[in-house]
Amino acid sequence: MTAEETLGDMLARRGFSRRSLLKFAIAMTSSLALPPSAAPAMAANLAKSKRRSVIWLSFQECTGCLETLLRSASPTIESLMFDFISLDYQESLMAAAGAAAERTLREVVAANKGEYLLAIDGSIPAKDGGVYSLTGGRSNLDMLSEIAADAKAVLAIGTCAAYGGIPKAYPNPTGAVGVEDLVSNKPIVNIPGCPPVPEVLSGVLVHFVSFGTLPELDDRKRPLAYFGTTIHDQCYRRPFYDQGKFAKSFDDEGARQGWCLFELGCKGPITHNACGSLKWNGGTSFPIESGHGCLGCSEPDFWDKGGFYTSLAGGSEVGWRNAGVAAAIGVAGGAAAALSARSKVKADKAEPGIEP
Amino acid sequence: MTALAAFGEDGLVDALLMQIAGLLGRLAEHDEEGSIDLRGLPLSASCIADLEKRLGRGEVTAVIEAAGRSTIHETSFPGVWWISHADESGRMIANLIEVALVPMILRADPADIILSQRRLPGCTHVAAHARARAA
Repeated sequence: MTAEETLGDMLARRGFSRRSLLKFAIAMTSSLALPPSAAPAMAANLAKSKRRSVIWLSFQECTGCLETLLRSASPTIESLMFDFISLDYQESLMAAAGAAAERTLREVVAANKGEYLLAIDGSIPAKDGGVYSLTGGRSNLDMLSEIAADAKAVLAIGTCAAYGGIPKAYPNPTGAVGVEDLVSNKPIVNIPGCPPVPEVLSGVLVHFVSFGTLPELDDRKRPLAYFGTTIHDQCYRRPFYDQGKFAKSFDDEGARQGWCLFELGCKGPITHNACGSLKWNGGTSFPIESGHGCLGCSEPDFWDKGGFYTSLAGGSEVGWRNAGVAAAIGVAGGAAAALSARSKVKADKAEPGIEP
Repeated sequence: MTALAAFGEDGLVDALLMQIAGLLGRLAEHDEEGSIDLRGLPLSASCIADLEKRLGRGEVTAVIEAAGRSTIHETSFPGVWWISHADESGRMIANLIEVALVPMILRADPADIILSQRRLPGCTHVAAHARARAA
C-alpha cells in the first residue's frame, strides 16, 4: 500500500466491498460505545483516510504488551486497519538494527512532524538522570522527551507506560514513572492493563483514523468506552454477589457453582477495564470466567496494594482496604449504574471524540 | 444471567419494546431511521431470547457474506429489523435492532456501484473475445 492510497482504495484492491467496511464500522461504533448512527460516517471517513505514521518505543517493559497486541484473531478488516497504520519504528519488529534503526527513527520523525502517533510501552526510569535504561546510548527519558515533542498524541500502552506498573513497585529502584508524569504538553491516552486488551488499542486507532480525534477519556486519561465501568459491573457472577453467594476457597462447592470470587480477593469492584465485556483470545474468556479473581492490573500501583488473595472487605493491606470499603458501599446499584452510564455515553456523543 | 436480569428481565424487555415503538413513530412521521445496539446493553441470553420471541419473525430474511456472515431478518413488525454481524471466525461482533425501510447494510454502496459499472462490461462475450485475442 502506498502512502497516497486511501483505505477505500486498498480494500477495493483486496476485494473487500464497502459493505465490509460499513460492517467493520458498525462493530467499532459498538465497541467504542458510539451510537450506531455514527457507523456510516465512520465508514465514509475511513474510506477516505490515508496511512498514519506510528512510532512505537519500548522502555522498561517485558514485551508482554506487544505480544498480546500481535496475537489478534484471524485476518479481519480490523487487522487490515493495522496494515493501514504505518508502524514505522518498533525495535522488536523492525528488520533494521543499530545505526540503521536510529536513522530510520530520525527520518520518520522528520517526515511526519506533528502528525505521527507515539506509542509507548514500559515505564520510564527517571532516577539518576535515567541511566537505568538506555537505547543506543540514549536514556528512555531523553528519547521520550525528544520524540513526544513532535507527536500528535501519545498512547501509553499497558500499566507500566500509563502508571509506572511493576517497575514502579516498592522500592522502585529505578525511579520508574508513567508517561503522563513526564509529558505534559501533548494529548495522552492511557491504555492500562498487564497486558492491555488488544481491542482497546484498535478502537483508539480506528477512532483517531476515522474522526481525526481521540476518544472521550476519563479522569485517568483512559478511553471511557472501555474503562467507564468496573469489572464487577460487567461480571456474569455479579448476581451471586448480590445474593451473598461467595466461593470461600478455589475448590469448594461455591467455586464449583461459579459463585462470586470477592472473598478470594477479586479486585473487580474497584478495577476499571473491559475484560468482562470484550474478553480475551477472540472473546473466549477472561480470568474470572476461568475461576480466578481479578488482580486489578489496570489500576495504578496494583502491585503494592496488598495480596491478590485478600478480600477487599477484609484485607489488612492499606491500599486495597480503603478502596474496598468504598467499593462495598457502592456496588449495590452498580449494574443499573453501568447500564445508565453506558447509555449516557452513547446519548451524549453526537460528534465523538476530543481534539488531539 | 447478568445483574440486570436479576432486577427484572420483563421490565427491561418492555422498556426496549417501548423504545422500538418510539423509533417506529419517528420513522413513520419523520422518515427518520434509528437503531439500538444490543451488545452495548447488559442483557442476558434469556433476555435477548425473550426480546426476539416477542418481536417475532416477519417476511424477509437475508444473509450477507462480507468479512464474515451477517444475518438479517425483519421481525413481525414491518420496519423493525434484527441484525447480527459475525467476523470470519464466527464470533458475533455486533447485534442490532434497526428501524428502517431497508437496513443500511443491505444497500449497495455508491463506490461499489461505480466499480460494478466499470467491471460489468468485462463479462460480455465481446470482452471475452478481446481478452482471448490479446492472450
